[in-house]
Amino acid sequence: MECTGCKQGAFYVLSVAGRMDALTSQGFETECLARLDAGDTRIVVDLSALEYISSAGLRSILAAAKKLKAVGGDLAFCGLTGIVAEVFTVSGFAKLLPVYATRVEALARS
Amino acid sequence: MQIYQEKVTRGIAFRLSALVLSVVGLIFVAMSAATYFMAREALLKNAEQNARTQAQALVQRIEARLAPISRVPLGLAYELGDDGLSDEGILRRQRQMLLDNPEIFGTAAAYEPFGRHPQQEFFAPYTFRAPLGITHINLGGPGYRYHAMDWYQIPRELGQTIWSEPYFDEGGGNTLMATCSVPFYQGQGAGHGEGRHVAGVVTADVSLDWLKRLVSSVNVLETGYAWLITRNGTYVTHPEPGVAFNETIFSRAEEAGDLDLRRIGQDMVRGGSKLVETKSLHTGKPGFLVYAPLPSTGWSLGVFSPRDELLADVNRLALVSAGLGGGGFLLLAALTAVIARGITRPLRRLCLAAREVAGGRLDAPLPEVASRDEVFELAEAFAHMQESLKEHIRDLTLATATRERIQSELRIASEIQLGILPKTFPPLPRHAEFDLFASLTPAREVGGDFYDFFPCGPDCFCFLIGDVSGKGVPAAFYMAVSRTLIKAVAESVAGAGQRRGADRHHSPLEAANLGEIQRRIPNPGHILARANNGLAEDNESCMFVTVFCAVLDFASGEVHYASAGHNPPVLLRAGARPEYLPTHGDPVAGAMTGIAFTTDTLTLNPGDALALYTDGVTEAMNPVQELYGEARLLEHLAEHDGLDVRAACQALAADVHAFASGAEQSDDITMLVLRYNGPSTANGPDTANGAATDNSSTDDSTTENRTRPGPDTT
Repeated sequence: MECTGCKQGAFYVLSVAGRMDALTSQGFETECLARLDAGDTRIVVDLSALEYISSAGLRSILAAAKKLKAVGGDLAFCGLTGIVAEVFTVSGFAKLLPVYATRVEALARS
Repeated sequence: MQIYQEKVTRGIAFRLSALVLSVVGLIFVAMSAATYFMAREALLKNAEQNARTQAQALVQRIEARLAPISRVPLGLAYELGDDGLSDEGILRRQRQMLLDNPEIFGTAAAYEPFGRHPQQEFFAPYTFRAPLGITHINLGGPGYRYHAMDWYQIPRELGQTIWSEPYFDEGGGNTLMATCSVPFYQGQGAGHGEGRHVAGVVTADVSLDWLKRLVSSVNVLETGYAWLITRNGTYVTHPEPGVAFNETIFSRAEEAGDLDLRRIGQDMVRGGSKLVETKSLHTGKPGFLVYAPLPSTGWSLGVFSPRDELLADVNRLALVSAGLGGGGFLLLAALTAVIARGITRPLRRLCLAAREVAGGRLDAPLPEVASRDEVFELAEAFAHMQESLKEHIRDLTLATATRERIQSELRIASEIQLGILPKTFPPLPRHAEFDLFASLTPAREVGGDFYDFFPCGPDCFCFLIGDVSGKGVPAAFYMAVSRTLIKAVAESVAGAGQRRGADRHHSPLEAANLGEIQRRIPNPGHILARANNGLAEDNESCMFVTVFCAVLDFASGEVHYASAGHNPPVLLRAGARPEYLPTHGDPVAGAMTGIAFTTDTLTLNPGDALALYTDGVTEAMNPVQELYGEARLLEHLAEHDGLDVRAACQALAADVHAFASGAEQSDDITMLVLRYNGPSTANGPDTANGAATDNSSTDDSTTENRTRPGPDTT
């Protein structure tokens, strides 16, 4: 799993590629925490390059989202496809966390 | 314990010794051989020179005595040639000669026939030493016609001094003699002109004992010797007794078949001088023969030096050398062996110790190594390894004990966890309105899947299935908490509903008639909402659980249900294709507080069934990484409809197992099948509406009351 990111306006865009499973999801949480420490509390996660996500991945997403929420930030998602979109839907994470179809939409918020 | 044989037959000691000794041996042999041959060559050259020198010296000595002797008769020959002497004068001169020359035994002056006195054919006065003094006779007479004798004829013909062949003189005590004959001339003309003629021969009989003694006594090394031969090849002296005067060099050569000797003889009588390598007939030894002529007599001297004695020094040198070398070699061999053993002994002991350690005796004592060399380092390294090994095994033993303790704890935990799941089938034997069966096949000792079912009212039944995120012990904890919480919440909701129902209406029967049954049926959405709040509070670990919760109303066949992020169950309508229940996408429970969950309702007809499952079924993977999948599940259920609930679960479990075909089970496989058979009026007398009425008007036995579900039992 690879995380690459850049600041775009008020948000920090994090692109995640590969697989988020028990082995790799810790990296995602660490990355979000690093962004939090750096002051970027409003994060948009682009999952268009993510192939697979397991419950461990969902857990780390939840943990990151809670931490960001605690400091007044938020964690939003965009670019969900395939299995990842299905998992988000079935698990209800699509209702728990803000999910947008495209990055543009996600960044268009205030 | 196996006893190891000494497998080392060609060990270091042997190889080292063999190598060093071979090389040293080679060097030594090469050096010795070179030294020997070079020394020998030098020595032989020297010996040649010495032999020649010795022979020459001997010749000189002999000549020194022989040469003057032949001059004596020559003097008389000149005098007689002048013809100035009378007969008496000749005698006087002869006598004088004898007196002056002790070696001369006798001297004769032999004239030509009728040469001195015209009437006397033989005139040869001979003066000689007799036992009683010097006396004289006249040689010659009819009995001794001296003119024909060799001693007269040969010098006369050849016109020069001739030495005769040696002979033994019987008359003179068997001394070795030789006669030197000198011709004398008379007539006008000093040279070879006319008128000059041989007038006679002067002789001198010379004793040659001294010569014999001289030659015989020559010392040549140890078994070397010298000998003398005459112009005919007759041996004058020879070391072998009986050879002198009996054999010639040619006769000896012929007897022995020795061609070399014949050639040598031929060269010697010719007056040759040479050094040859030959084999001595006398001693049989090979060696050097130096021969040289005696100029005065024309005889030849041979000196033989045996080769082995010549080379005695070299051979001695070689022997000493070999002795020293051999001794040194043995010493070297011994030392090498000692050193090699010094290396291999500690190695061997180390090897034995290593085997002991390998065999389990970790505390085996290691040998002491005295030297401070590589072997010592090896021993040290080995000791270090031994310590590490002991420590490692200690750690390993500890870790294994710990692991086994954890394993046993996990086994107990597994028992506990599986124990808290309800396993009585059918759950409500008296209620034939529905059949239910559930099974859980865990992936590890403990896991996160669970199911639950319990009555939640007089005529309703709650059943649910859940799946905690993650695996193993953490999921098991959360599973226990979730299951307990959900059940508690469900019963609380159910209880509240009952009380509300009871409060508002005096008679539950009335309430039923008023259609307020719904209030008494717990709402799965509420249950999930309250459970979710309970789980989401203090959820540091951010774990969550998916749940599908449903409540069946026996009488109506209504099923109220809600889902928190769980896989949609399969609805199996009798006679129709199986289909998935639609979902609302409500989130998983435990993630965030304050979530609302939607409750849906469907009505089951008798014969319809619901199949609940977790993703352990749909996400079961086979060795080529294919998933069982939702489609296959529907297909399987379609093919296997009509089975009773237990058989259905077993068939599904078997199918998933078969699909996995040996691949490791990565997630718990959980399923629950409920079939609705219809309301109780269609069944036996033991079921009744409004089960809240404890006092049944039927004549059921008292056991009925006890088993009948009611608020008291919840």
